[in-house]
Amino acid sequence: MPIQESISSALDSIRANKLRSILTTLAIIIGTAAVIAMVAMGSSAQKALDESISDLGARTINVYPTSSRQGATNTSNIPLDIKDALALLKDKEIPWQIAPEIRGSRQIKFGSENSNLQIVGSNPEFFSIRGYEIDQGILFNEKDSLSRKRVAVLGSKVANELKTSSKALLNNDVFISNVAFKVIGIIKEEGSGWGPNPDEQIYVPLYTASDRIFGTETIGSINVNFPVEYRTEEVMIAIERVLRREHDIGPGEENNFRINDWGQALDLQKQATSIFFALIIGIASISLMVGGIGVMNIMLVSVTERTREIGLRKALGATKNIILLQFIIEAIILCLIGGFIGVILGSIIYFLVALWQDWPMVFPLVAIIGSVSFSALVGLFFGIWPARRAASLEPAVALRYE
Amino acid sequence: MIHVSNLKKAYILGTQTLEVLKGINFSIEKGEYVAIMGPSGSGKSTLMNIIGCLDSPTYGSYKLNNVEVSDMSDDKLSNVRNREIGFVFQSFNLLPRNTALENVMLPLQYAGINKEQRREKAKKALIQVNLGDRMDHKPSEMSGGQQQRVAIARALVTNPSIVFADEPTGNLDTQTGEEILKIFRDLHNNGQTIILITHELEVANEANRVIFIKDGLIEYDKIN
Ligand SMILES: Nc1ncnc2c1ncn2[C@@H]1O[C@H](COP(=O)(O)OP(=O)(O)O)[C@@H](O)[C@H]1O
Ligand SMILES: [Mg+2]
Repeated sequence: MPIQESISSALDSIRANKLRSILTTLAIIIGTAAVIAMVAMGSSAQKALDESISDLGARTINVYPTSSRQGATNTSNIPLDIKDALALLKDKEIPWQIAPEIRGSRQIKFGSENSNLQIVGSNPEFFSIRGYEIDQGILFNEKDSLSRKRVAVLGSKVANELKTSSKALLNNDVFISNVAFKVIGIIKEEGSGWGPNPDEQIYVPLYTASDRIFGTETIGSINVNFPVEYRTEEVMIAIERVLRREHDIGPGEENNFRINDWGQALDLQKQATSIFFALIIGIASISLMVGGIGVMNIMLVSVTERTREIGLRKALGATKNIILLQFIIEAIILCLIGGFIGVILGSIIYFLVALWQDWPMVFPLVAIIGSVSFSALVGLFFGIWPARRAASLEPAVALRYE
Repeated sequence: MIHVSNLKKAYILGTQTLEVLKGINFSIEKGEYVAIMGPSGSGKSTLMNIIGCLDSPTYGSYKLNNVEVSDMSDDKLSNVRNREIGFVFQSFNLLPRNTALENVMLPLQYAGINKEQRREKAKKALIQVNLGDRMDHKPSEMSGGQQQRVAIARALVTNPSIVFADEPTGNLDTQTGEEILKIFRDLHNNGQTIILITHELEVANEANRVIFIKDGLIEYDKIN
């Protein structure tokens, strides 16, 4: 008997017991759906992380002062100031870009509205390092900073805070701590990531910030951007060398500043994500195995239920192998159907989550092929025993079965 | 065609052995219409299963067309059942979810005949038992008599050498039973070898020869 007839005969008997067939494959459906959804989500999340790393083009390291809590036990607690940034800028060992940051919360007024917002003082490089792009107007430049010009670039949501529109603000004055600043530009919406929301901040030139707003040269952090050809470690060592000299730290003494590498954090997050997804896939595979045992159970019940039918088929001339094949194919088809439903279900789940999380879409082809063939294997493996049982029934005994 | 000598069959039930057939001897030639008769539980079905190659004897010899059946392999037995033998059962034994036509096509599928030919042959067989208008009906949509006629068509569709019918009228009322027996008579008149198993004398008398079994032995074997 040709194989396609075995297949159509197996399909017939599956169709005859639709509900039972679906219930049988439930665990397979869940297992496959979980594998597909997890693998796709995992690769999407990885892709998103990769993109956010390469978004930076180059990589960024941040330098912070040691907080008093981390209190330098051996060294005095020296804050970072603009001179540190200048020292880094002067050092030519690595072609890095340096953007110091002074920040603090200040009152902002526009017309009768006022709000408390983060003011960030930095140099023009700051925008390119952070990947912030201008939406309307222009960015400030080096000269604006040196001449302490009272100009400001606003985050895209500042207008909301002041209950007005970006258009109304552009080229008009806002008051920062009662000092008038001309709004010269608005940056594009960035969306919040780690830390303060860039869309709700106000950006001013570095020296304007230090002289006219904060009255101090103490800075909160230094952004160091370096080309990808350089290894993070060598850049960190270079920063350390410059700042230790600047801070007069003797050999054997601890740093009184802190160097943070975002890329490292991203790498760690990537690793954690992949471990998490591997774990879920492990659990999903177990669910597929459990599904296989379920299929085996139902197949055994089905063999018992169809004892008379098997006896009849043998009386009509079916050989052992035909019966064996019929039941194995039935188990495989059951698992394949479960696998396909699972793929569709998993894809839908993935699609919705990716939409919601705004992840880049991937097509999990390997996962689909892998999990569908794995379900077929599960069917084969767990179908063999019931099928052998059916094939070895004695026709005379099977026909007497009530 | 069929030669049975000193055939014995015993079932082992726990510690007890149940001797059902205690030494049966007979021969059946091509074209005969034989009834195997006996009271309920006398071992008629057991005997039919053995000569229908569905079961093997505990002792003795059974030759079908001069070949010792106990020497045949499992696959060979399937083959013999498929090509040489047609079965009709008391409870019809049709596949409930398939149509009459599909049920009749089934043995041809095991014979490896292609779908087109299967359909043609099955249609002919159904027309032969007057069911040309019921081919697409499922068993549940047919009367008992019609179902048994489907079963007969299924038994005939492979052109078997022997047709075995085990209490074929047992689940039918008298009139329907007579219609079924009429079909067997017509088949016999066309040269078909038929072995009819029954516990009813009136049914057995339809056949040309009656083998009466009691307590595992042949009590008489006579020509009507
Ligand atoms: N597979 C079996 N296992 C045990 N006992 C059986 C089996 N088949 C038949 N028997 C017993 O053998 C006896 C004869 O059965 P059977 O051949 O069906 O009788 P009949 O068809 O004449 O009514 C009965 O007592 C029955 O219970
Ligand atoms: Mg019987």
